[in-house]
Amino acid sequence: MPSTLIVIPAFNEEAALATTIDNLQFLSDDYEVLIVNDGSADQTRSIAESTKTSSRLKVHVLSLAINCGIGVAVQTGYLFAVRQGLYQYVIQFDADGQHPAEDIPRLVEACESQGLDLCVGSRFLDLKRSGYRSTFLRRMGIRFFARLVSGLSRTKVTDPTSGFRCAGPRAWKAFARRYPDDYPEPETLFWCARHRMKVGELAVSMSARQGGISSIRIKHSVYYMLKVTIAIFVDRIRRKEPLQ
Amino acid sequence: MTAERLMLLAAILAFLLTIEFVRKRTLREKYAVAWLLVATGLLILGVFPQLIMLIADQARLAYPSAVLFATLGMIYVFSMSVSVSLSRRRHASLKLTQEVALLRYELETLRAQIDGRTNVADHESTESGSA
Repeated sequence: MPSTLIVIPAFNEEAALATTIDNLQFLSDDYEVLIVNDGSADQTRSIAESTKTSSRLKVHVLSLAINCGIGVAVQTGYLFAVRQGLYQYVIQFDADGQHPAEDIPRLVEACESQGLDLCVGSRFLDLKRSGYRSTFLRRMGIRFFARLVSGLSRTKVTDPTSGFRCAGPRAWKAFARRYPDDYPEPETLFWCARHRMKVGELAVSMSARQGGISSIRIKHSVYYMLKVTIAIFVDRIRRKEPLQ
Repeated sequence: MTAERLMLLAAILAFLLTIEFVRKRTLREKYAVAWLLVATGLLILGVFPQLIMLIADQARLAYPSAVLFATLGMIYVFSMSVSVSLSRRRHASLKLTQEVALLRYELETLRAQIDGRTNVADHESTESGSA
């Protein structure tokens, strides 16, 4: 198995973080964990530091001095991967425990066998498997982005907002150079598809959140919809970047 | 109070405000220069109110909506430049925050390695001493 870094952005996740790390312990030694504490105001940092000794898997901890937003936290993980130079794949995984750890090897396997640059864990590809329930409005929002990204990039996607994904070296090295600082998922998925990267999806399950609050709350959702839509349309008219 | 008096008062306030911000080091001299120019312009117009009528006649800006348009246009340019520079600052501070976190990680890793080595060295020296 290629070595893989699991990046866990954590902003005020003291309630769920320790359990989330515990649930990863069945993974093989090919996996390492990086917790990026995004300027949390609670005990997230000390919990993260304590998992360094309690975890069997190797755990690294980075602490951002101020709250920078999910995109910046995740990008710090990609920058870390560039500096370490040890990893083949970089996985983004939520700290709140709503992604099942069992799906991690499946994501890496999908990237390996299909030669994908980015594999997104989709909640909508197999609704029986995921058991995903959500509000009508949120599903409509996600479907809107799925249509937007699919239509503009001619790549079929079902869950562009998923924060559970596995990036191959071409994708994560590009993400390390530049990444949106908030609500990054649909925009970066579109970016990858537009730059002829191989993008795929894998049906994953999704459990209820163990603690904390979703970064997308109702009062932010209007901003979220507008920001991401603008970002995607503007990215569409940007000059394509040379991939290294 | 006439509009001219008001302009004169505003000019003096603008001067004082700019100087005060520079004194408290909240405003860089670089920007103070521009704001002092604005204050000077206001002051000149406040002292010589007939100038504004002259300009209005020359530029045919005698009716209110044209004046409103010109004013809003200036405010737009100022605010947009502030938004752009704010975005640049945010980008720079995010980059720095990431860099600090990565450097701190490397520093802690190096420290742990050095501590590990000195402990081993201490251990070896006590062993050889007892032998």
